[in-house]
Amino acid sequence: MTAPPVIRTRALTKRYRGTDALVDLDLEVGAGEVMGFLGPNGAGKSTTIRLLLGLIRPTSGSAELFGLDSQRDVVAVHRRLTSVGADAALWPGLTGEETLHLLGQVHGQVDAAYRAELVERFDLDPSKKVRAYSKGNRQKVALIAALMCRPELLVLDEPTSGLDPLKEHEFRRCVAEARGRGQTVFLSSHVLGEVEAVCDRVGILREGRLIEVGTLADMRHLAASTVEVTFDGPVPELGAVDGVLDVTVHGRQATLQVRGPMGPLLRVLAASGVSELRSREPSLEELFLTLYGEGEDQVPVAG
Amino acid sequence: MPADGPSGTLVPIGRSPQTVVLRRTARRAARSGALWGYVFGAFVASTAWSYSSLYRTQHQRDALAAAFGSNRATIALFGPAPMLQTNAGFTVLKTFLTLSIIGAVWGLMTSTRLLRGEEDAGRWELLLTGATTRGRATAQAVCGLAVGVAVLWAVTAAVIVVAGRSARIAISPGAGLFFAVALVSDALLFMAIGALCSQLGATRRRAAGYAGAVLGASYAIRMVADSGAGLHGLIWLSPLGWVESLQPLTGPRPWPLVPIVVCTVVVGLVTVRLAASRDVGASTIPDRDRAAPRLRLLGGHVGLSLRLVRPTVVAWAVAVAVTGLLVGFVAHAAAGSISGSSVRDVLSRLGAPGAGTATFLAVDFLILAILLGFVAAGLVSAARSEELEGRLDPLLTRPVSRASWLGARLVVAAAALVVCGLVGGLATLLGAVSGGAPVDAGSVVGAGLNTVPPAVCVLGLGTMAYGIAPRAASLVVYGLVTWSVLIDLVGGIGALDHWVADTSVLHQMAAAPAASPNWPAIGVLVLIGVAGSVAGCVCLTRRDLLGG
Repeated sequence: MTAPPVIRTRALTKRYRGTDALVDLDLEVGAGEVMGFLGPNGAGKSTTIRLLLGLIRPTSGSAELFGLDSQRDVVAVHRRLTSVGADAALWPGLTGEETLHLLGQVHGQVDAAYRAELVERFDLDPSKKVRAYSKGNRQKVALIAALMCRPELLVLDEPTSGLDPLKEHEFRRCVAEARGRGQTVFLSSHVLGEVEAVCDRVGILREGRLIEVGTLADMRHLAASTVEVTFDGPVPELGAVDGVLDVTVHGRQATLQVRGPMGPLLRVLAASGVSELRSREPSLEELFLTLYGEGEDQVPVAG
Repeated sequence: MPADGPSGTLVPIGRSPQTVVLRRTARRAARSGALWGYVFGAFVASTAWSYSSLYRTQHQRDALAAAFGSNRATIALFGPAPMLQTNAGFTVLKTFLTLSIIGAVWGLMTSTRLLRGEEDAGRWELLLTGATTRGRATAQAVCGLAVGVAVLWAVTAAVIVVAGRSARIAISPGAGLFFAVALVSDALLFMAIGALCSQLGATRRRAAGYAGAVLGASYAIRMVADSGAGLHGLIWLSPLGWVESLQPLTGPRPWPLVPIVVCTVVVGLVTVRLAASRDVGASTIPDRDRAAPRLRLLGGHVGLSLRLVRPTVVAWAVAVAVTGLLVGFVAHAAAGSISGSSVRDVLSRLGAPGAGTATFLAVDFLILAILLGFVAAGLVSAARSEELEGRLDPLLTRPVSRASWLGARLVVAAAALVVCGLVGGLATLLGAVSGGAPVDAGSVVGAGLNTVPPAVCVLGLGTMAYGIAPRAASLVVYGLVTWSVLIDLVGGIGALDHWVADTSVLHQMAAAPAASPNWPAIGVLVLIGVAGSVAGCVCLTRRDLLGG
């Protein structure tokens, strides 16, 4: 018998007074996977995470973590995960060290050496009171508190908000280490570079619906690749080639977008004397803009 | 690339951006001022209305005057009570000091909430990025708070003047207007003191604590000054003393308004000066940013609950202890002048049957019960803040169930109430013994514990409100205690239908140590408290968590 996925939702739906915050979410995240969750503000990312954590109840559908119901078996589920929210609300009168001690004790297991290392790496002064911390430093406390327990699952909701680029980089290293240890990570983020750097798979939400899910490589077919060609002679007619869009010509140089297979274009190019050819896959940012921006109408809706 | 920015024209909006802070603060202070104005006015009107039915004969009125008019101990507790043979004197005795203190608490809570509270929440900083300065914004806020007091005065005065036209109440418009001035003077003073303390303390709680300490000291100084020990001059050191010296209705004197107004203006100016000279988020009394770790209680969420409520509970316990000591100490002297069946009758109408020291102490324990009701309300409100401010998420996303979190808080809260009741009983006993009063140790300590069940009832009903509707919980639980206080003070003089009187959690409490504890009532109160707590826990587990 195979182990159940770490996260599995079935038609998970949350409605607030007639507003659909999340609609029919079907999602699976396997053990050891780093899953990114993207979407603009109000798309339903935090709602999904609060449903997974059992903080709010679904209107319909279900969420299972480790094969356990996230509502009914909430304490058993929480023994195996930690989470970080976008705005770490902590007790203002406690110092950083006291907060880490408390949250470790409440969770029940802590890797003390790793905790000390994280405090060092994130450059946190734990003797300060939470009241005296900046937002970024509060976020560091919450991150360290989550990572130091080395749980099976890390649920992270925009965890780097307020962190400087150096600490953001440190965070990415921590996620890579977690993956190396076989931990599962569910990461909701606005920082596309972060998701691109650390995630194996990405799910994209729009208006409460999961519109796309897959590996980044899978998803790149959704947006066009950019191809720049310099010809030996005059530029041939490229606009009619299958899959080619937006051809711009400057002298002997052409810049064009290609959606789908490259074969038809390559056959035309092979017959035309090419001196230089550069091709670039779409970045996650371009993918994101395609899904939410001009390309909205052309995108197939999944799920 | 062509400029792609917004192409519209900027147009000025709003009446005047220079007064945004003033209008915002004034609106919030005025809303609560209007509500309390109705309460003040209604309390005064209903008290004055009840006098002629309670004290019909001249004999009864003389007895009232004998019990309170010249008794140093009761004057120390309730303030001077001249002209008790008249409706005016009775109304002043029953309402003046009580409403003045309620007004003072309202004033200091409102100003610390609208100044330091806004700063704590980060909204103040947002306002300061507008076209204003720290000093100017604070000056606007202080003026806005003054608008709140003006509304409190206007509504109080309107209700008193309108009700005063009735022949049975018979308060002339002039006297009514001046009485309203006197009733809101402490609110004004402590609003200013709260504003000043908001500059001194780094958090809202600390600011309110400083202002509360000033109020406690003022009450204690006034008490000593009025005790007849030849120290009446001390009255001028206490803001409550200045207000008392206005003598509304019974012998109005406007000139003590001078120190009241001067003090308010000076404190207001110092507030603005301090605000202008400090950093946003900082405080004039420096706050410790670092501390050595104290991990003893932080082994789990139960210990955390204990640690979070400890400062508040210790502060309340000290206040209860000091009050108990003082009242216990004067009890013997007070009891010496209470004699005769008609005097007993008067005290019994005020909620304390019998005579002697025990009767006098029973009134004190009623005040302790009211204090404990507010402690319970504060504990419910603190639990609610944990959720609304998102601090529940780090606990409840770990292996802690909602019921065990709330259950632990309730156990800690109930224990805190028992400690406060016990401290009140022991301190009163100590005071009484030091003052030479012949009291039974067991019954005095028991009377302290007798104040706990109503507070447990408040805790349970407040917890139920929190479980069902967290945003409304503070309003509900503080409203319940305030309602109970007013109903009990009015109901104590027999003017209410018992169905209405029974809605007060204080009404069923026996007047211990003058009367034996009412065990069935204690059972019912505790049962309601437990049932409410269980219902609150169940509701909390069945709803969406807010915040985060």
